[in-house]
Amino acid sequence: MPQMPRREIRAAEEFRGASRLPSEEFRREIGRVGMLAVAALVLIGIGPWALGQYSVDILIRSFLYGAIAVTLDILWGYTGILSFGQSAFFVIGAYACGLTFVHIGLTPFTALGALVGGVAVAALVGALVGWLAFGYGVPALYISIATLVLCVVMVQVLYSGGVYTGSSSGLSGFDTFDVSMAGWFWIAGAALVLVVALGWILVRSDAGRLLVSIRENEQRCKYFGLATGRIKMQLLAGSAIVAALAGYAYAGYTDVVAPDLGGFQFGTELVIWVALGGRGTLLGPACAAVLIDFVSAYLSGSLPFVWQLIVGVVFIAVIVVMPRGLGPALASPVRRAWRRKAPARPVTARLRPAEERNAAAEPAFGGGPTAIEITHLSRRYGSLHVLEDISFSARGGELVSLVGPNGAGKTTLIRCISDGRERTSGRVAIEGHGIGRSAPEYCARLGLGRKFQTPNVFEALTVAESLRIARARIERPSFWRCDDAIRLPEAAMQVVRTTGLAEQLATRVRHLSHGGKQALELAMVLATEPRVLLLDEPTAGLTKPERTVIGKVLVDLVQRHGLCVLLVEHDLEFVREISSRIIVLHQGRIVLDGNVEDVVSSELVRTIYVGEPQAIGEEAG
Amino acid sequence: MTSLLLDIVTTAGILFAVSVGLLIVFGVQKIINFAHGAFLTIGGYTSLVVTHFHLDPWLAEPLALISGAVFGAAVERIIVRPLYRRPLDAILATWGLAIVVVQLITIGFGRGVQFVQSPVAGATRVLGTDYSLYRLIFLAIAIAIGIAIAAALQGTRLGLVARAVIMNEDLARGLGINSDLVRFATFSVGAGLASLAGALLTPLLSVDPIMGVPWLLNAFMLVMVSGTSLVSLALACLVLGGAQVVVSSYGSPVLGGLTIVVLAAIVLRVRPAGFARA
Amino acid sequence: MPRTRSNAASEGPILSAMPPEMPQGMFRGMSRGMMAAGTFALLLGAFVPTALAADDTISIGVPVGLSGANSVVAPSVVQAAELAVAEINAQGGVLGHKLTLDVADDGSGADGAVKAFDSLVFRQHVNALISMETSAARNAGLPVVARGRTPFIYTSYYEGRSCSPYLYVDAWVPEQQVPPVIDYFMEDKGAKTFFLVGSDYAFGRGMLDFTRKYILAHGGKIVGEEYLPMDASDWTPVLSKLRAAHPDALVSSTAGGAPNVTLTKQLRGAGINVLFGNLAEDEGTAKAIGPDAAGTYLSQSYFTGIDNPKNKAFIAALQKMFGANMKTPNDLSEPEYDGIYLYKEAVEKAGSINPHKVLAELPLVRFDGPRGVVQMSVQHHAPLTMYLGEVQADGSVKVIQSFPNVSPGDQCPNLK
Repeated sequence: MPQMPRREIRAAEEFRGASRLPSEEFRREIGRVGMLAVAALVLIGIGPWALGQYSVDILIRSFLYGAIAVTLDILWGYTGILSFGQSAFFVIGAYACGLTFVHIGLTPFTALGALVGGVAVAALVGALVGWLAFGYGVPALYISIATLVLCVVMVQVLYSGGVYTGSSSGLSGFDTFDVSMAGWFWIAGAALVLVVALGWILVRSDAGRLLVSIRENEQRCKYFGLATGRIKMQLLAGSAIVAALAGYAYAGYTDVVAPDLGGFQFGTELVIWVALGGRGTLLGPACAAVLIDFVSAYLSGSLPFVWQLIVGVVFIAVIVVMPRGLGPALASPVRRAWRRKAPARPVTARLRPAEERNAAAEPAFGGGPTAIEITHLSRRYGSLHVLEDISFSARGGELVSLVGPNGAGKTTLIRCISDGRERTSGRVAIEGHGIGRSAPEYCARLGLGRKFQTPNVFEALTVAESLRIARARIERPSFWRCDDAIRLPEAAMQVVRTTGLAEQLATRVRHLSHGGKQALELAMVLATEPRVLLLDEPTAGLTKPERTVIGKVLVDLVQRHGLCVLLVEHDLEFVREISSRIIVLHQGRIVLDGNVEDVVSSELVRTIYVGEPQAIGEEAG
Repeated sequence: MTSLLLDIVTTAGILFAVSVGLLIVFGVQKIINFAHGAFLTIGGYTSLVVTHFHLDPWLAEPLALISGAVFGAAVERIIVRPLYRRPLDAILATWGLAIVVVQLITIGFGRGVQFVQSPVAGATRVLGTDYSLYRLIFLAIAIAIGIAIAAALQGTRLGLVARAVIMNEDLARGLGINSDLVRFATFSVGAGLASLAGALLTPLLSVDPIMGVPWLLNAFMLVMVSGTSLVSLALACLVLGGAQVVVSSYGSPVLGGLTIVVLAAIVLRVRPAGFARA
Repeated sequence: MPRTRSNAASEGPILSAMPPEMPQGMFRGMSRGMMAAGTFALLLGAFVPTALAADDTISIGVPVGLSGANSVVAPSVVQAAELAVAEINAQGGVLGHKLTLDVADDGSGADGAVKAFDSLVFRQHVNALISMETSAARNAGLPVVARGRTPFIYTSYYEGRSCSPYLYVDAWVPEQQVPPVIDYFMEDKGAKTFFLVGSDYAFGRGMLDFTRKYILAHGGKIVGEEYLPMDASDWTPVLSKLRAAHPDALVSSTAGGAPNVTLTKQLRGAGINVLFGNLAEDEGTAKAIGPDAAGTYLSQSYFTGIDNPKNKAFIAALQKMFGANMKTPNDLSEPEYDGIYLYKEAVEKAGSINPHKVLAELPLVRFDGPRGVVQMSVQHHAPLTMYLGEVQADGSVKVIQSFPNVSPGDQCPNLK
């Protein structure tokens, strides 16, 4: 089999050094973090002796803010969820403490009850906002809006609480924990270290890669059957819990709760800290939050307006000129010097065959059970009928090509099959299960795999990481470690091996050639072990040899693994070589459905294609 | 009942005037200009300056339009242009700008609440009830603004080009349209309109450095549910503004203050296209 | 009530060998006597500065909203404090020690106030706090004050019932402000039905709660009570209801600044002419609003137009000290001036800056100032002379009646 040619030089360079396994890299990271954490804990331990009382006092609050900034960084920097509302969760925790101690009093039991109650309410509110924001078809910006609204509503609720919440005055002077200032300093400091360390483990783990893949390409994740909405919702609820805990500690220490702690000004301030410290670095936002809050406590008294002016100007400058934040900009020279001494080694993984879950159907050509059944499907946009009364079914072991001129509705049909909300009427069933009105991730779970027309991949991840994301629905990624092995089903393994991806596991996807990306997407889709495979022009933009490889792979999938493949293709030559059956779409209707010879020789097809030379496949892309 | 209806339409007019600048910027740039409230504030202070020099109060509106547009043009060049490809970052940078503008105004004009001279005063008899004359004039001006923008979009070359960029920027670029220029012009116009709205608001309200903040959120939500269409914005202002007036009048004004943001959030969840035709 | 958080040992210098009244690591200007005093305090385990060296100053902390909502009034408060300190120092100080001021910005909010109070109490180690603040900021500061055992004279009128052994108040509470307006409306103007309008926050609600009870207790009727969110300034729906209710009088208690101003303007813009008592308006705002404010009734413990020699001397002294930069004194700034004098009297009477001794003397001392005699003798609050003013067409306020010695009533029954 010919290899994928034209690998980029950069990728080859990366490969020169001996590569490292994910678990080794992970252990090195943990070692580094452990050392940092111990050093930080030592500093925090001697803090109360070394610092003045005022500094200790300010730092206790700064540490708590730092912990919230870290969770916001996981949300925004890693997963791409820009939340202005972490302050609302913070204030829930704070009022859980304040309200309980004012109205019920302080006993170990009420203290614990308030803690649990506050955390539960925050998590619930977080989940509710997440449910609103991460539903099907809701625009990505919605979460930012919803969290802004959450802050506005939260503050108004507290204002309207009258004597109960203390309205604008808040509550203060309640009995609180008998802990010394040094004790609070240690608690807050240790909590910050813990949150950073846990966050670090999370983002470096396999689950952390999943978060990045959601940020990079959420659509692709959904079509792998990953319920990204639920993952984001859980993440938001988790961050709400940390913020509520910080709020609880804030109230317990300062003995004060007030509505403005939940305002979107504070929420925005957290975002500013994260942006200045460096998104997606964890340590940057934590340091920025602590430092900026600490410095502003010293400076804002003497120059209140000028200080905010300076913060504003620096913030704009950083966003425009240094989008990665100040932290990375300051740290990168150090890192570069470090790299020169010990060049980074690429991280790869070991390929392993997966246990076959679906007992492969009889690999008889075209003789399997009904894999997909479409009855009376139509799709209308207003008065425009894009698809009309489409009905056909296909079995495992069939390779059905959908052909037709531009605008015939081929891609629309693929969309209607893979997303339950797309079609106007009709029924789609995968292996006997109707897809109903389900979102793509639930259609995918029925055994549907979809490869998009243009390569739809995770540019920022490596090939190995991409393949692991594709397997994430079948093999739950771990939150605290990295797996060395990638277990692929035979079909995916075959694509990876025959297209040369196996030698490029450590390569960043953005450095792959166009053909490499097409092959990778196909391999990823196959890794989800689909029973029905939807392919939208898988050979578009490929060279002749590349196309031959893909063709062979497809035929093999159908013949040896009993898959049902629906292929949208312009290139009739290619279609004729590999199809077992051809369906011709024209103006939204099926005009022909038959075996290859019948269709290709049909007069009708020639009429339809008049004026459209057969090599349309060349221009698509 | 009549006064309730008048409240609803004039409130809708005010909301429309306040959010239309944001809509234009969102339509063309696909970014949310969080400095919109700051531009509004600049308009407010422009009319304060007009009052200070004892000029004709009606001069405040054109001056505000100009000062907002000029400031907007500078902002577009320095801050917004580098962020074309990073729309989320543009939100943050313009929010930073809002902070800076508030602080500069505070340093320049003081933190205090100040007042401008109203061009007209008192109430007038309309449909059998006494009603604030200025609110009625405001409504008329808001309608005029809407018509003028629609006419400009339909009837001028810049409007045509802007519509092309709104529909498909890459294609427009391919056809040789200088989309950078379109972005520049629309941002400037959007800022000018925000500023104009600020100047229009001041006789009803008062001027202080953070006067723009409460308006920003409502304008933002209205634009979110309107997509990029003037007609849907007008509809959204009428429906959500009307809901606000009704809730405030028959329920509690405290709930009324939350009506627009909460309803808009729900509308967006149920129907992501909002008031725009899907 | 004060909390019972921890014992004195852990509240004092935290795990430090330094005497607590010194900034850590700074021995500058530290006399042997102070060292001894500090060591003594440390031995006692209590954070209580008890003795002063001859060349030491007594410092007064002024946490105030230089930024945020209170930033409009804050400069006049600082000027009042500076004037009082300058006058006292010119007369030889307190017990032979000069007074100094430490001003800190609290951002007009709770979070800023915690920082400002912490900075003053634990970094600057001030001997007393004397200031006006928002209620949120005051509440936020009280735990710090208790932890630092520092006397705190609160000089802002407020909604009442804030109690702490360390807190004294020399400004009015609803019990003192509301009766003059309502009595005048009912007795002199024959008003029977009232409409109440406020901003939805502690002061607005607290004030109108008392007003409602007072009106009902005196045979009046409430025909409406409406609140708007604190930052809202469009009163259209409220005014519609007001118009429909046809009250004899309107009483408002809004947030200061924009909401207050816009209410007056929109009220007049809507052509509603009703008896209008504004519980939250001060002279400066009335002047700024101009003709629209004419006919509004205000009830305060201080107006610039109070006709007595002390007030005239006070304004003249401000003018001399600040010239063109003088901020017009008002009901929030003048009590700051009184507060510093009251503290001086208490220290002199106690013969010490020991906070416990000073706190014991504070209710016993009196100061005869621009507002008349002030003594914080009733449950840490002060009976005051209240003045009813009417805004004139030119924006000035005419004092039309004074009500001497109005009691604050039962504010803190648990504080004797």
